[in-house]
Amino acid sequence: MMRMLKSIDWILLATLFCLAMLGMVTLYAAVHQGAPGLWQKQGMYWGAGMAIFTMLCFMPLRLLGLACWPMYGVALFLLLLVPIIGDIHMGARRWLNLGVMNLQPSEIMKWALMFMLASWFASREARGWVEIVVPLLLTVMPAALIVMQPDLGTTLVLLFAATALIIAAGLPWRLFGLAVVAGIASLPVLWHFMHDYQKQRVLTLLDPQSDPLGAGYHVIQSTIAIGSGGLFGKGFMHGTQARLHFLPEQHTDFIFSVLAEEGGFIAVALLLFLYGLLIIRILWIGHRAHSRFGSLLCVGIASIFVLYITVNIGMVSGLFPVVGLPLPFISYGGSALVSMLAATGLVMRVAIESKGQIPWQRPGSPLA
Amino acid sequence: MRNTLLEIRGRFDVRMLVLYAAVPVFLGALAMQMLKLQWYEHAHYALQAEQNRLNIVPVLPVRGEIMDVEGRGLAINRIAYYVQLIPERVANLEETLAALAEMLHWSDSKLEQLRKRIQVTRPDRPVLLDDKLQWEQVSPLAARLHHLPGVDVESGSYREYPYAGLTSHLIGYLSLVDKEDLDGRYFPSEFIGRAGVERSFEQELHGSPGSQQEEVDALGRRVAVLKRSPSVMGHKIRLALDIDVQKAAADALGDSTGAVVVMDVHTGAVIALLSQPGYDTNRFITGLESEQWKTWLNDPEKPLLNRASQAAYPPASTFKLVTGLTGLQHGSRLANGSTNCPGYVEFADRKLRCWKRSGHGMVSMHTAIVQSCDVYFYQLGDQLGMGAISDAAMEWGLGVKTEIQLSPESRGSVPTQSPYMMSAIKNSASKRMKWFRGETMITAIGQGALTATPLQIARLAAAIANGGKVLKPQLLADVPPEVLNQVDVSEEHLNIIRKAMRSVVEDPSGTAYRVLGDAPWDVAGKTGTAQVIKMAQDKKKALSQDLLQRQFRDHAWFMGYAPYKNPKVAIAVFIEHGGHGGAAAGPVAAEIIRVLAAKEQRAGADGVQP
Repeated sequence: MMRMLKSIDWILLATLFCLAMLGMVTLYAAVHQGAPGLWQKQGMYWGAGMAIFTMLCFMPLRLLGLACWPMYGVALFLLLLVPIIGDIHMGARRWLNLGVMNLQPSEIMKWALMFMLASWFASREARGWVEIVVPLLLTVMPAALIVMQPDLGTTLVLLFAATALIIAAGLPWRLFGLAVVAGIASLPVLWHFMHDYQKQRVLTLLDPQSDPLGAGYHVIQSTIAIGSGGLFGKGFMHGTQARLHFLPEQHTDFIFSVLAEEGGFIAVALLLFLYGLLIIRILWIGHRAHSRFGSLLCVGIASIFVLYITVNIGMVSGLFPVVGLPLPFISYGGSALVSMLAATGLVMRVAIESKGQIPWQRPGSPLA
Repeated sequence: MRNTLLEIRGRFDVRMLVLYAAVPVFLGALAMQMLKLQWYEHAHYALQAEQNRLNIVPVLPVRGEIMDVEGRGLAINRIAYYVQLIPERVANLEETLAALAEMLHWSDSKLEQLRKRIQVTRPDRPVLLDDKLQWEQVSPLAARLHHLPGVDVESGSYREYPYAGLTSHLIGYLSLVDKEDLDGRYFPSEFIGRAGVERSFEQELHGSPGSQQEEVDALGRRVAVLKRSPSVMGHKIRLALDIDVQKAAADALGDSTGAVVVMDVHTGAVIALLSQPGYDTNRFITGLESEQWKTWLNDPEKPLLNRASQAAYPPASTFKLVTGLTGLQHGSRLANGSTNCPGYVEFADRKLRCWKRSGHGMVSMHTAIVQSCDVYFYQLGDQLGMGAISDAAMEWGLGVKTEIQLSPESRGSVPTQSPYMMSAIKNSASKRMKWFRGETMITAIGQGALTATPLQIARLAAAIANGGKVLKPQLLADVPPEVLNQVDVSEEHLNIIRKAMRSVVEDPSGTAYRVLGDAPWDVAGKTGTAQVIKMAQDKKKALSQDLLQRQFRDHAWFMGYAPYKNPKVAIAVFIEHGGHGGAAAGPVAAEIIRVLAAKEQRAGADGVQP
């Protein structure tokens, strides 16, 4: 136990603690006049998430390496079930009704694929046809199923994390360049397959004023909130945009605009600094990891955080179309928070296992 | 080997450096966008936020009023003042509440209740403190408003039912809309009809809400009204109901539980529709306390039940008119002849008694109706059979909905010769037949499984008076009559029945002679006394109806029309556990006729057609 405490990565934990504080304060401002009890609930989600975080600190990574195959298989099976027996919510078929709860198989797949790819590349490099084609297939199958649901956000997460992992695993730059060109070339095809509401969102992004009361409303209002916050903000609980309920979903996906309006650029900079610290620290833990599996795991998790942060803030400030991804550790919502804390718990486990060990580079390491 | 490993490690280190570098690129791009919005373009967005203060508030429509036939308000809108408070704008909540309590004379418990309500509402939303205030009550407050920030006096309209106790079942009541009602036509603070006419004519009465675009300041206070799309007032509704007649019926019923229906025999217009006991519909408007609702719900007298159209009872002897007409139509020998009534009728080993134990002697159709002889109709029913009786009952509008615009409506029940009925008893075929024969005879005198609503019985009286037209009861004034069924019956046969009905009232031996004989209009009618429980006749005889415990007393009926020569109105009076039909229900009808006749005379004197 003492050894355990000694090997904890305190910087990671402290960053997490600061994010928790900033998140709870922002949430308080966002919901203090709304439905009561949300703030307290989020506190409970933090408690539950930290419990899982702690449990994962004790779980040997080896187990995860073993579990990732069946996990991936089950997730793929459930994804195949979705178009057949899934429930439709707001025009998209994403949920499986399990009687007691609604399950979103794409959420499981997001993590399963990451574990899978980390496991695959734990003993090989992405430098050979088989080494590249197999993970490509592993990625494309679920991605195709999820984009058809349609769930653009999760597809993006899947592809982004897979890309980061493959790059870390040593994909030749030439091939990467080729893939980027092919991706851009396929955009018109993607546009063709997009649903009307998704097309609308992209169009709205290009010109939000074209539909000020419809799809553009969210973006316009949140941009006004952010911009009017200025460098120093309007003060805690003094945001006029938030207060007048012009902001949609201001405690979930749009919570960043509350922070930016009331805290100004100072608060935004603080948040981005904390995020930077968190992600760099995760990458650093991955870099120094004792096992290649642990390294790649950290890369995958860091990439997911980067994507969430970028897409969410980009969406709220009008850089990207509205894609429903939460702001990590800040947005209200239990399942997102718990799964992100669980991921951070895995990173912590990597740090614990690697403490005092030499990074994988000597004979006897997993790749040998 | 070692070289390869080092090569892999080296490549990984490079890749990690790229990934490290990517992080500030992503976050930096976001930071740049933020700087652009919050620094470079801040002034632009600050201005937009200033202007971004449009608030859209609903403008509620004025609900249409409901009038009686002479234009007297049955459901009206009153202007009243209400006091509300927006917690976050109040400087000192306790001081403010104390000042308000003094000016508006609140009790301590009310004050406590308000404190609680303020605690649970959002601080930026108004809390209703007091409503239905008159100007005299709020004027001292209005003068001091500027000392009480956050407190607001507003005017609004509320619904009032001036004749609440008399019209509760007919007019119904309103309550706040539920989530399910919010289909775009209603705003959350609106009221919707929940019962009676308020519910049936909701579409006409409601009108349509408008909206108002307001400019608000940073704290959400209204600065100016920018745009206004007015609400559309609901339609006024004039009912055929005459509140004088309704009141006369209520006065005559007194404390009795029962129902009265008065109907125009030609148009089906409902002149009175009363069910007693009633309830105070005014208490629904400000949100009924659940205690009061429970009291009403659990009251054994069932005040919420509309006995005129929602409840069905055995029509008793009033149904003999239908049996009689059916006998005449079928050309039955007994209908045109006579039979001896020894006080009972025997078949197989069963014995059915007449209400008059000593018997009526020789009775014809006429005397059987006038004196309400049971034996005559047992025999007539036995000859006609259940099929003919139930068919006729349906023809005359029993066992089917009257289609009055008051829901829910009871259709009553008419037994039929269905296999289901036949299999109701699991016995040998012969026993079953015997049981069924008895059941048929009991149905012929309006007892047994047969039930009807007072509204159906009033409509039956109207149909007998108007030549067999079964009408749709009309709640609205001046609507053309709707004949739902024309019974195939000859004037000659109808006249035989009508004459007998006249004799019920006119002939000293008639069951309603004592109470209706001297009514200002010539009345034709029929009494009915519905058995509540089977009690040995002799035992019953020993106790007079007054002494019988109330719940064991018979139901009393009177139905009829007037004037005899030139029928105008049909009446049905039903008194639950009222005892004998003639004695209990007759006087109510007499009082109604008196009021109607007096009104007509007055109208005649004024030279105005009623």
